[in-house]
Amino acid sequence: MTTMLGRLLHRGDELLSHILSDRPLGRTLAELTLLMAVSAAGYGLVLGMWHGTRLAAYDAIKLPLVLVLTSTFTVAFSWIAAQALNVPLRFAQVAVLTFLALAAAAVALLSLAPIAWFFTVCAPAPSTATRMTHNALYLMHTTFVGACGLTGTRTLWHAMTRLGRARSTLRRVYLVWVLGYAVVGGEVAWALRPFVGSVSPKFPVVFLRQDALQGNVYEFIGRDIVPYFWSRRRQ
Amino acid sequence: MNDSIDLAPREPRGVLGTLDELLRQPRAGFARARAGMPVRAWTLRAIAGTLGCWSLYGAGSGFFAGGWQIGLAAVKAPLIVAGSALLCVPSLYVFGLLAGAPLTRARFAVTLTGFVGMLALVMAGLLPIEWLFSVSTQSLAFVVWLHLALWTIAMIFGTRFLRAAMPEVPTGALMLWIALFCLVSFQVTTFMRPILWREPNAAILAEGKLFFLDHFKQALR
Repeated sequence: MTTMLGRLLHRGDELLSHILSDRPLGRTLAELTLLMAVSAAGYGLVLGMWHGTRLAAYDAIKLPLVLVLTSTFTVAFSWIAAQALNVPLRFAQVAVLTFLALAAAAVALLSLAPIAWFFTVCAPAPSTATRMTHNALYLMHTTFVGACGLTGTRTLWHAMTRLGRARSTLRRVYLVWVLGYAVVGGEVAWALRPFVGSVSPKFPVVFLRQDALQGNVYEFIGRDIVPYFWSRRRQ
Repeated sequence: MNDSIDLAPREPRGVLGTLDELLRQPRAGFARARAGMPVRAWTLRAIAGTLGCWSLYGAGSGFFAGGWQIGLAAVKAPLIVAGSALLCVPSLYVFGLLAGAPLTRARFAVTLTGFVGMLALVMAGLLPIEWLFSVSTQSLAFVVWLHLALWTIAMIFGTRFLRAAMPEVPTGALMLWIALFCLVSFQVTTFMRPILWREPNAAILAEGKLFFLDHFKQALR
C-alpha cells in the first residue's frame, strides 16, 4: 500500500503509463482499493468522533464503503459511456481509473484529517444546545469531501489527457463520469447516514437508519429542502 | 559564475543571515534544495529565527494587558503558529503533490519553513505598530481587529511566497489552503486562550471547549 501511495504522489506519470498500457491491472486495482479504503477509514474515524467512538468506528467502515459502492455502481456506465463517446478504454482500465480518482480523493481527505480532528476536539459535546457546532462541523466535512472529490477528478482528467483523443471528446467523457460519481455518491452517502450524527435525541447513533432505503436524497431535496426555502422566500 | 550563484547560492551564516536571505532572496533556499545541497541546517536556523520573531510579536501583543501577560503571550504566539503549521502540513504536502509539484523532502521543508518564516518576518516588521496600538488603547475589540488586520497583511506576503515556491499548484487551490490555514490558526488561538487579556488570577489556559467564532464574539462584545 505504501508503494502505491508513493506511486500516486511521486510517480503519477509512471502509474498512468502503466494503467493506459496493455498490461494486466488486477494488482494495481487491488492496491488502489486498499489505499482508498485505508485512507477513507482514517478520515472516517475523525468524521464520526464528535459523537464518540461508536460512530467513529462505524464511519471508519462506512466512508470506504461509500467510495467502493459508488465506484461499483458507476463503473459499468462509465465504461459504456466511454465506448459510446469513442474513447476505447478496456473495462479494467475504466475500473482502475475510477479507483485511481477515488484513491487520490481519499488520500487528500486523509491529509485533512488532522485539521478535522482538531476542530472536532475543540467542539463542545453534542447536545440540543450545540446545533450551530453540529452545522459548522457538517459544513467543514462536506467542504473537505467536496474539495477532495474535485482533487480526485483532477487526477482523472490528467490521466484522460494522455489518451491522445480530441479534448472536446475527453471533456464529454470526463463530465459524464464525474456526473455519475456525484449523483450516485450522493445517494450512497445518504443511504449510509448518519456520518456526523444528529444533535436530536430522535436520531441516536446507529450504523444504518431504519429508513435508509425509504426514499432517496433527491426526493428529500425536492420534497423538503426546496419547499422550505421556497416558503421562506415568500414570507 | 553568476549563473551558478543564482542556481545554488552560498548558504548564509547564523540565524539573522538566514532570515535576511529569506527576505531578500526568498528563492535561494529552493535553489539549494534543487541542486541537492543539504538544507537541514538552513531549515533549523530559519525555524529558530521564526520562533524568535513570533515570540517578539507575542510579547508585543501582551503589552495590551501588561505584566505577566507579556511573557505568556511571548510563549503562546510561537506555539500558535507552530501548532497551525503542524496541523496543515499534511494537506499542503499531499495537495501540492497531487497538483504536480515535484516536492522532495528538502524542497518541502524549505517551502514550509520559508512560508512560516515570511509570516514571522512581516509580523516582526509590524511589531512597533502593534506595540504602539497595544499600549495606547483599552479596547479589546480594537486590538482583536488590529491583530486580524496585521495577520491579513502577513498572509498576503506568505501567499506570494507560496506561489513562488509551488508554481505548479493552481492559485485558487493555494488560496483555499491559505484560507484553511487561517481558520486553523484562529481555532488554535482559541485553544490557547487567553492571549491578549486575562482576568486577575485566571488560569494560563482557559478550560472548556469553544469554537473560534464564539471566541471572537466574546472578545468583540
